Amino acid sequence: MRLNLILYVVLIFFAIATVNSEHQYRNNYSRLDIEKKTTSELRDEKTKLEVEESDKSGNQRIQTIASEKLRMYPPNKKEIRVIK
Amino acid sequence: MINTRKKHTEFFELSKLRRRFVLIMILSLFFALFSRAIYLQAMQKDFLQKEAKNRSDRNVLLHAYRGKIIDRNNNVFAVSTPVQVITANPSIFEASVKKRIKLARILSLSRRDLERRVQKKKKKVFLNRQLSPEKAAQVMALKIPGISSNKDYKRFYPAKEVAAHLIGFTGIDGYGLEGIELHSNKLLAGEPGYKKILKTEKGRIVDDLQDVKIPRDGQDIQLSIDKRLQYTAYRALEKAVEKHAAISGSAILLDVKTGEILAMANYPSYNPNTKGKSKDFIRNRVVTDTFEPGSTIKPISVSAALESNSIKPHNIIDTSAGYYKVGRSFVRDTHKYGKISVKEVIQKSSNIGAIIIGEKVKPKYLWNTFNNFGIGQKTGVTFPGEVGGKLIHYKNWRKTDHQSATYGYGMSTSLIQLAHSYTVFANQGNIKSISLLKTKDLTLGRRVISKKTSDEMLGMLESVVKDGTAEHAKVNGYRVAGKTGTSKKVGPNGKYESNYIGSFVGIAPVSNPKFVIAVMIDAPSIGSYYGGTVAGPVFSSLMAEALKIYSIPQDGFTERNEQKREVKPDSII
Repeated sequence: MRLNLILYVVLIFFAIATVNSEHQYRNNYSRLDIEKKTTSELRDEKTKLEVEESDKSGNQRIQTIASEKLRMYPPNKKEIRVIK
Repeated sequence: MINTRKKHTEFFELSKLRRRFVLIMILSLFFALFSRAIYLQAMQKDFLQKEAKNRSDRNVLLHAYRGKIIDRNNNVFAVSTPVQVITANPSIFEASVKKRIKLARILSLSRRDLERRVQKKKKKVFLNRQLSPEKAAQVMALKIPGISSNKDYKRFYPAKEVAAHLIGFTGIDGYGLEGIELHSNKLLAGEPGYKKILKTEKGRIVDDLQDVKIPRDGQDIQLSIDKRLQYTAYRALEKAVEKHAAISGSAILLDVKTGEILAMANYPSYNPNTKGKSKDFIRNRVVTDTFEPGSTIKPISVSAALESNSIKPHNIIDTSAGYYKVGRSFVRDTHKYGKISVKEVIQKSSNIGAIIIGEKVKPKYLWNTFNNFGIGQKTGVTFPGEVGGKLIHYKNWRKTDHQSATYGYGMSTSLIQLAHSYTVFANQGNIKSISLLKTKDLTLGRRVISKKTSDEMLGMLESVVKDGTAEHAKVNGYRVAGKTGTSKKVGPNGKYESNYIGSFVGIAPVSNPKFVIAVMIDAPSIGSYYGGTVAGPVFSSLMAEALKIYSIPQDGFTERNEQKREVKPDSII
């Protein structure tokens, strides 16, 4: 009778532990899924920044700023001095 | 005491009737539950399991990211950016007139088009497949029943027209349709996966039942192209094509040490980010179009003659007649040059001189030399649509074929082949394989002509730029070698048209060659049509930029050894 009672308590304990473990697994899996979504979002954000960087460093833009804003121009032959 | 205990027991003891009633009730309850359980487990099993699966299990497509295409300095040429796919379920779509107008405006659709789509008898219709996330948020804020938004990816090309022919584009399904996107589609695309998951009623994923297939992201592809030089090439072509009102222009820049292609541009071009690309401008003419190379082939003919000892550099060629009979027609030079040296044949681009020299070389030897220079063969870059050109086999040559081949007629090459063939003169007689992908190691070459012949040819080609037909190809501060070409266009019916193709292929710096550039201008109609005038300036500006960007030391101010080696001419041919 006493042994049965002990076994019953052990059974209850492991049953609760199993349920708890399954619950934790599902919680963790849910968190992992959220992290994966965050990774994907960060990846998209990185792509956006790369595109923005590419746009900002575009040759056409640099040329326009250099000529119109900074009034730069390629030097002509008279302005070039070659140091031998 | 005993009496009290008895009274207490009688008090709690239920009557027989009540006990039976309670027992029957409990048993009936158990029976009902048991019957229901059997009914659900046995009779409704399949239906319930299916319903449960439909509510909780989901087959989710796992997206594989398409790889980026970047230039040799990690600048982005093609990248996948997130977009939203807006769909509607016409059976439950319901919106007021005000909301419909707003929706059509955000989706960039006409009101009529929107109505036509939402009235279709389908469960799902696409309203916009590539909407920006910001605009998609505006759509969802309208809270219209039946409208849903899902994430997808759209290819974006920051270089726009500048590298369109090279990079190509993808279709709406993300499959490469042109250029590198098509060439390397398998590597770029990766493989999408899918898995079965368990979802809560709130849509949170709590378990994956089985990983059916893990996605494999696409690889990034690093090209050998330098974005800065690509831009310069495109702008220089744009200027030349507009100035001479030409049909198109193409240019390619090769690093002769590594065989890498640093720029490959065409004008006119198209914007790969927009819809409605004209078919006329999609071709990468550098690799897909062939033309008769004309005078740009003469250095190869002359090097065949030098290599076979058919002539010596100091021989004199008599072109004083001013014409030469080839079959039934006469080939002429632009001027009567008289008795000229082998070097002057190249420098002045004498057709008669080239024929006289070429006739001294046996057809088999001449054909083999053309073949070894890569004429009539694909270059090995495996770009979609690349053509091999045409070089008739020497066994099928008539006398006129032999003669016309010496000055670049009766054969066809692509611009990439022409540039590749000139790397022989830049690499001391060796030809190296060329690549569109960035390479780290120096590649080994295959000997085509001896170093002596190659050096002699380089000297002759330098005289073309210094005192010959390619004055516009000069680069300030550098020694440049090259050859102009002006050939009549061959029409679709195989007959010559009235238009010309002006080309120039050049090498710099001559003291230690680093770059080869080939330029082709198709049908210039305003001003000159000569290769030196129309293609020379494009070469000059692109080469100047390449030499500046790669900090190549100037060699144009040193004494040239070539002048010291000048020998007096002797025998007249």
